[in-house]
Amino acid sequence: MIEFVNIEKSFFGVKVLKGVSFAVKPGQTVGIVGENGAGKSTLMNILGGNLQPDAGEMRLNGQPYAPKSPRAAEHARIAFIHQDLNLFGNLSIAENLFIGGFPRPSAWLPFIDRRKIRERTSELLRDLQLPYGPDTLVERLSAGERQLVEIAKALAIDAKLIIFDEPTTSLTARETERLFAIMAQLRERGIAMLYISHSLGDVLRLCDEIVVLRDGAVVGNAPASELPMERMIALMVGREITQLFPQRDTKPEEGIALDVRGVSQPSVARNITFQLHRGEVLGVAGLMGSGRSELARILFGLDPCAAGEIRLNGQLLNGLSPRERIQRGLAFLTEDRRMEGLCMEAAIADNAALVALPRFARGLFGFVSKKKSRGAVRNIREAVKLTASARDAQPVKTLSGGNQQKVVLAKWLLNEPKVFIIDEPTRGIDVGAKHEVYRLINELAARGTGVLMISSEVEELIGMCDRILVMRRGEIRDTVVASEFDRERILRAALHDKAPA
Amino acid sequence: MTTARSNPIGLRLLNQASLILFAVVLMIFGALSSAFFQPANAVNILIQTSSTGILAVGMTFVLLTAGVDLSVGSIMFVAAAVGGKLILSGWSLTATLVVMLAIGGLYGALNAVFITRLAIMAFIVTLATRYLGRGFGLRITETRAMNLPESFYEFGAARILGLPLPVLIFAVVVVLAHLTLTRTPFGRQIYAVGADLEAARKAGINTRWVLFLVYVICGFCAAVAGIVALSQAPAVSPGFGNNREFMAIAAAVLGGTSLFGGRGAVFPGTVLGAVLIQTIDNGLNILNVNPYLYPLITSGVIFLAVLLDAIRNRTLERLNRRRIFVEAETDQPNVKNHCDSSR
Amino acid sequence: MNFVKRLFLSEYLVLGLCVVYFAAFTPFTPGFASWSNLQTILAYCLPILVVSVGLTLVLIVGGIDLSVTSVIALASVVGGKIMSADEGWLAGSPWAIPVGLFAMLLVSAVVGAVNGVAITIGRIPAFIATLTTMMFVSGLAIWLTLSRKIGGLPSGFVMLGQNLWIVAAISGGAILLAHVALTKTLYGKWLYAIGHNPRAAIVSGVPVGRVTFFTYVFSGLFAGIAAILFTAGLETGNPEMARDNLLDVVGAVVIGGTSLYGGKGHVIGTVFGVLFLALVDNSLNLIGLNFYTIAMVKGGVILLAAFTDALRNRFMAGA
Repeated sequence: MIEFVNIEKSFFGVKVLKGVSFAVKPGQTVGIVGENGAGKSTLMNILGGNLQPDAGEMRLNGQPYAPKSPRAAEHARIAFIHQDLNLFGNLSIAENLFIGGFPRPSAWLPFIDRRKIRERTSELLRDLQLPYGPDTLVERLSAGERQLVEIAKALAIDAKLIIFDEPTTSLTARETERLFAIMAQLRERGIAMLYISHSLGDVLRLCDEIVVLRDGAVVGNAPASELPMERMIALMVGREITQLFPQRDTKPEEGIALDVRGVSQPSVARNITFQLHRGEVLGVAGLMGSGRSELARILFGLDPCAAGEIRLNGQLLNGLSPRERIQRGLAFLTEDRRMEGLCMEAAIADNAALVALPRFARGLFGFVSKKKSRGAVRNIREAVKLTASARDAQPVKTLSGGNQQKVVLAKWLLNEPKVFIIDEPTRGIDVGAKHEVYRLINELAARGTGVLMISSEVEELIGMCDRILVMRRGEIRDTVVASEFDRERILRAALHDKAPA
Repeated sequence: MTTARSNPIGLRLLNQASLILFAVVLMIFGALSSAFFQPANAVNILIQTSSTGILAVGMTFVLLTAGVDLSVGSIMFVAAAVGGKLILSGWSLTATLVVMLAIGGLYGALNAVFITRLAIMAFIVTLATRYLGRGFGLRITETRAMNLPESFYEFGAARILGLPLPVLIFAVVVVLAHLTLTRTPFGRQIYAVGADLEAARKAGINTRWVLFLVYVICGFCAAVAGIVALSQAPAVSPGFGNNREFMAIAAAVLGGTSLFGGRGAVFPGTVLGAVLIQTIDNGLNILNVNPYLYPLITSGVIFLAVLLDAIRNRTLERLNRRRIFVEAETDQPNVKNHCDSSR
Repeated sequence: MNFVKRLFLSEYLVLGLCVVYFAAFTPFTPGFASWSNLQTILAYCLPILVVSVGLTLVLIVGGIDLSVTSVIALASVVGGKIMSADEGWLAGSPWAIPVGLFAMLLVSAVVGAVNGVAITIGRIPAFIATLTTMMFVSGLAIWLTLSRKIGGLPSGFVMLGQNLWIVAAISGGAILLAHVALTKTLYGKWLYAIGHNPRAAIVSGVPVGRVTFFTYVFSGLFAGIAAILFTAGLETGNPEMARDNLLDVVGAVVIGGTSLYGGKGHVIGTVFGVLFLALVDNSLNLIGLNFYTIAMVKGGVILLAAFTDALRNRFMAGA
């Protein structure tokens, strides 16, 4: 069906795919597993026409296949179901299926052939056992049902190969079951599928073959029956921990910086309890959608908290706004730098000074002392080792990802936080900048700040943390201390539905 | 799931807020005056609504793409001024009307070129062309009021199938617009573009062309609105059409069209909004209320409608909040969805 | 070339244009550069400038305020209703002027506060919220006076708008205040941050709701100050005052380089923008063009300014 031959791809000089080769036979379901950053998404984007490879080629039924756009992939009968679905909530199911090209009853009439698209859509919906009429608005559907609409979209173009990118992350258990049943039907019809997922159990259950990617290369490719869970995890993990992580000499102190007891919020978090000590780096592991980022937002006061207590150095934080929590010494580096971390159009200095501004302000009218804020920004720039070539007045958007992240760190460090929640601190930044970020985290801890570090990269957590909490489905499933760090144990707790024995 | 999910009645009421407001207004006026519910009065309301209604229909197209057109009042004026000049210099009524319509379309195309090609915000572009148009129109009319010949008045007073012509034109515009928006590929693409421009592009929609046509349609509707207004009072005054864009926007918004694009409809939405505004005027008139109070009451009702819409949006937002796991694993929300979608 | 490019990208581009325009038109425009004409330009500019500065704050925070001109009308009427010797509630009383001034500012601030509450708490889009208050407030002004103008204002009050020095002092003070607030204070820094990215501002501990609310109150207050100057200058409380100036004001602010997307703009730019439109208006008047031709030219100027701004942004992105 489709064959990858030595596919290579680099971003900004970093090789993401290093000669990937494997083949999918017609009607086969192939699972693709690997840690974040292993290159799964890049590979699928190349297949789906969103990206072009730097080297290597793909063959579709023996013919060379090099899609330049998603439309070209569509013409080749390859459908891509993205994790964030590409649907219009304000349109009906039928319209979503045909928005790119509506059939008309005749060339003379400008109208949509509604009977035709309705019939076709009803047919497809019946196939998928979706109990809705074709005119139902997509915004009325649940996440899982929308997923099925995407599948219907794939069937509408008569796809021979469907790529699923993490389809189950936002689905309920029942919706997941339904999706799997439908995938089984698709397989019976001879449709080939590529299934990307972190849920290894699901992959084992669904797939005929499994391809394991690590650091942009295929490290395992075998029938599912020959790749038990343990073996898969071992292959995914593989690499030894390198000296990327700087040594920290200090130990956590006795005193508790952040005390979280029984924090719950319906359908988001369940009975979260942990203590973060002063000078401790506490990791939070878990898959995307496990509730780790949501927990951070609850702790920071951005999202509501239905039950439980949050205390910072003994002071109750419940009910306080983010602003009041910041005043009490909380800091929060968000996972989305562009949307919530920075004012991209604004100057570096203005971004860096934003959180600590009240400290530089005087008097009734809040005059900001330019001298003070400038001096503070200068010092903090040095501390985070922001690139010397960047001028203070330069817009943040002109910086590289790593330097942008340093600006975010700078703005929080200026306020001298007592507890720092950092969500995916090294996402999308290069190795050099990563090292700097790690060094800064260690420095913070050495000065007695409690750091809550959320990351999808288990390796990073193992290299940096004193303890790691593992989350799954809004709960803490396991707590691992440094002496017991074990990638397999952490992955297992994050992946399995059942709590580990 | 959340409390509102298990009690969707509040949300359903909010969904129909403008209809409920309309019903309330009707009941109040009906209770206070027996003349209000006379059939003749209903026709009256429709005649009075037609010009603003047509304008609002065009505006709806633009608002659906998350744009705005502040120049429609000026378009009305330019079309009317040129048309007046032509007919006074002896052109036939038909030829004049055709030219007026063409002016509307061209004016819209001018707006569209600046917005789609030069990527300037619609707000600024149409603000500038609003000045340009007003100035141009005043130049043509030399700032004097222009009385149009009898033929225009006869045109307005004509009845076809017992319906006054303005109402008929309004109806035709509404039917065409409604069919375009709901039944044609172009119409559905307008909604897609308004909901998510980037996704629309990815889905292979020619987004520039869609945006272009939307402003042309809006300009065209403005010209039609100008013609209808002239047919009722055949004189072009220097203030003709001035500030009408705000009424048009208000009517569309009252009818549930969102300023952020992708949500709204000509029928019943915008029509209902326009009729509601006019009904309030008409009812207050019948009740002999001090005319100075009309704008206060109208804007009060609009404010109420907008506030209800904001509350509705917030409720929806809360319902759509991301969930990590399902409480008690009962899949209850799906069951609810089934009920909802069966309408 | 480099100089041209730098001027093109500079904040003082519009001032440069003003100077060039002035120099170019002086030889052809009799009386353009005369002292009395310059006074006329200033007298026309200053009240408009005050409203524009208030609107600048609103645009920087990423909003819009369509109600400013109707606030001027309402405040004008309220002032007239209190102070007028013919029909004022406090006609002839020594308290008339202080109470009148206070009431004008109060009513303006209240409208601003209503906008602020509707936008921050009601979460109504600013465009619609201020559009409805515009309709309501102008309707109110007309109802209060039954669309008559109110004359007979006390001379002490009239002086505020007719002595150019006093007008300059009042408006200059207001403008300076806004400038200082914007560039030197916490409020100003927060304003820009919210305009750039409200979500990042919330996460960074900026009191977004409060700052936004007060920005609309300030916008109302500045319209109130302008109302005092207009009303005193024209010696009438007029329910249709400034009715046609709304888009002038928005246009001037945009010419001055303030972005409708928020986060970008400054008081000085607005000063230049208002000045430029006033120069255009005045010079074309002097050479005897009709007001409608002037309106067309103004429209063209606004379009050109927006186009230039789009070009500049493209340049900046490339640089």
